[in-house]
Amino acid sequence: MGDAWTIAMKDLRRRLRDRTAVLVALVLPFGLASIFSLTLGDVESQGFEATYAVVDRDAGGHLPSEFEELLESLDFVTLREAASEEAAESLADDGTIDAAIVFPDGFTEQVQSGRGGEIGVIADPDAQIASLVAESLTTSFALNLDAVGLSVAAVAEPGSPPDDALVERAQAVAPAAEIRTADADDRSASQSSFFAIGMAVFFLFFAVEFGVRGLLEEREEGTLARLLVAPISPSSVIGGKALASFAVGLVSTSLLVFATTWLLDARWGDPLGVALLVLGGVLAAVGVTALVATLATTTAQAGAYVSIVAVVGGLLGGTFFPISQAGFLGTIRFLSPQGWLMEGFQELAYGGAVADITRPLLGVLAIAAVTGSIAWVRSQRMVAR
Amino acid sequence: MNLRKALAIAGVNLRRLTRDKTGAFFVFVFPFLIILAIGAAFGSGFTPKVGIVSTGSGVLGGDLRAGLEATEGLDVQAFGDVDSLRTAVERGLIEGGIVIPVGYDDRIRQGETVPIVAITRPTGSGQELETTVSGVIDEQSVRIRAARFAVAEDAAASFDEGLARADAAAEGLPDIAVTTRTAGAASAGTFDTGAAQELILFMFLTSLSASAMLIETRRFGVSTRMLASPTSVRTILVGEALGRYAIALVQGVLIVIGTVVLFRVDWGNPATTALVVLLFGLAATGAAMVMGSVLQNASQAGAMGVFLGLVLAALGGCMVPLEIFPPLMYRIAHLTPHAWAIEALSDSIAVDAAPSQVATDLWVLAAYATALLAVATVLLRRTLTVRG
Repeated sequence: MGDAWTIAMKDLRRRLRDRTAVLVALVLPFGLASIFSLTLGDVESQGFEATYAVVDRDAGGHLPSEFEELLESLDFVTLREAASEEAAESLADDGTIDAAIVFPDGFTEQVQSGRGGEIGVIADPDAQIASLVAESLTTSFALNLDAVGLSVAAVAEPGSPPDDALVERAQAVAPAAEIRTADADDRSASQSSFFAIGMAVFFLFFAVEFGVRGLLEEREEGTLARLLVAPISPSSVIGGKALASFAVGLVSTSLLVFATTWLLDARWGDPLGVALLVLGGVLAAVGVTALVATLATTTAQAGAYVSIVAVVGGLLGGTFFPISQAGFLGTIRFLSPQGWLMEGFQELAYGGAVADITRPLLGVLAIAAVTGSIAWVRSQRMVAR
Repeated sequence: MNLRKALAIAGVNLRRLTRDKTGAFFVFVFPFLIILAIGAAFGSGFTPKVGIVSTGSGVLGGDLRAGLEATEGLDVQAFGDVDSLRTAVERGLIEGGIVIPVGYDDRIRQGETVPIVAITRPTGSGQELETTVSGVIDEQSVRIRAARFAVAEDAAASFDEGLARADAAAEGLPDIAVTTRTAGAASAGTFDTGAAQELILFMFLTSLSASAMLIETRRFGVSTRMLASPTSVRTILVGEALGRYAIALVQGVLIVIGTVVLFRVDWGNPATTALVVLLFGLAATGAAMVMGSVLQNASQAGAMGVFLGLVLAALGGCMVPLEIFPPLMYRIAHLTPHAWAIEALSDSIAVDAAPSQVATDLWVLAAYATALLAVATVLLRRTLTVRG
């Protein structure tokens, strides 16, 4: 065991001198975390913002102005002028506004006489979220008018003259229900957590790749033969490589967890759970990459194979975008350690505790055990040759 | 420049790539995995699934649930409790979940505004789902408010009588419609840019990874031998570029066609999509060749390729949507070809934009392609001719 440790330390020292290890284990994750924090940054500090325009073709009607006042009261909305529907459309097209709300001629009169009405929304195709919000606000306004109209109709005698006081009282009735998003304020935090977790899981495989390629490298460089001549067992040599891989993976992932928590306000969840899952994940990554490396004949090939496993596993495991676990994809997800890790980390990020991640933990440990033992056997054979 | 020789060089490169197991995998098998993933996430033969927990919510709760079930474009599933609902959302089995609380009916009758909790995933489709559900809830609210008002104004003796009056009054009362359309089109467009983002991301990533091949060409001295034959440097360069471009094109075309055929993903205008794939493929080729000529050894190229690919993709809007980029980052994003490609594709998906409508984006892509290929040519020429 002491020999394995010595070899591991030697490898680690070499890796530190070799720039690529530092690059992949430290610079990459920090770099990506910073980029994500930059691209997501304003969303968290400033919150959501949108620019709208109201086209009021309802001469003499007060309802469109009421809507405008409503929009003005929202602090995330900026209002711009638009004289006509055509003007508004071109403003939406070139992105000056995110959406325009159009009230046709005679709108107020039509609504107040109980003949219904129509409000148009013109959306900027590049402003998905802002347009949805505009649509939502307009629908809400329209439904409120419907409610007042129906309330008055349910109470007033048919054919009686409009009673402003009645209308006012109808407007004051509280809504029946309203939707409340779980963790509404955490929406952006959830998004940055998702990216942070996905990135960490994805790069884990590249971080551990170096150590496991070590055996192949030593053989290519001719130092393996010399190592074996020394009074140390082949197992120590292999063990040392594995240990070095494990160390790099663990340090890199831990740094990434801290970096994203600090830079992105990512919420990883229960610390004990995160620690256990990181440990399990690194073990699984070492096992898988070691197995993959033993299938290769040159270091370049090993690197390529690991890249494939990392990207495919990451894709299927949902590190780039959420993958539904239903159907065929859900079944093959079990083979991907990234998939297990994503499930486990997301469970923790949503507030789960250690007990909730037993399934993913067992999954990654199983993968670690199976791949690790096969890799061990194959490495022994490779070294013995 | 001898075109026949250039094509021969391209052919040799392609053959080398496909004979090598990893190369063949990347070019042919990998796109199908991407297609599967994109199709599953963004295919249109796919109705968002919503889970509902409504135990103990009474008659009115049942009404609300029926309203959601009747909504077009929603596939509603019942759940027994909040925890299993939440887990299902996290696991991606459903897009979102709604919890109608216990005692909803009683609380409504007593005049309370009852909160309905929505659990959604932190991606775009979650927002759209919330908007749809919100609309249904507000619609139900119309009737309930009228009933409450009737009771308050003594026009009805009980809440149920109020509901009856409201329903009777609703008979002859048209409601106010809200019609949305996208600027530049006659109807509402599809908004999800996810498929575009992933296509660009993976086309670029594969191009950069495949560039390791060029490095091995240099290492094995193949290029030097090619130069020793009566072949101009220009021919060799064109040949290398053509080989790489073919790879990038195959990727892009396979993904687009595969997602359309297998999952009915809607890419909008075919001409625009084709042009974006062609031009972005050129840009990716140029970038791959620049990287290939700059890096020292193959193993480094693999990791660097993935790293650069992901960094540029993140900066260019392939992960976080461009829409929520802060202004400075938005400008930086447009320093990458990715942002322009994504915007052109988004316009195509949203409003079926023809190439003339996205002309600016296409011209910029062409400029990027030209610039990158030019730089690559200069760098490669130097490394090929100045042999150490």
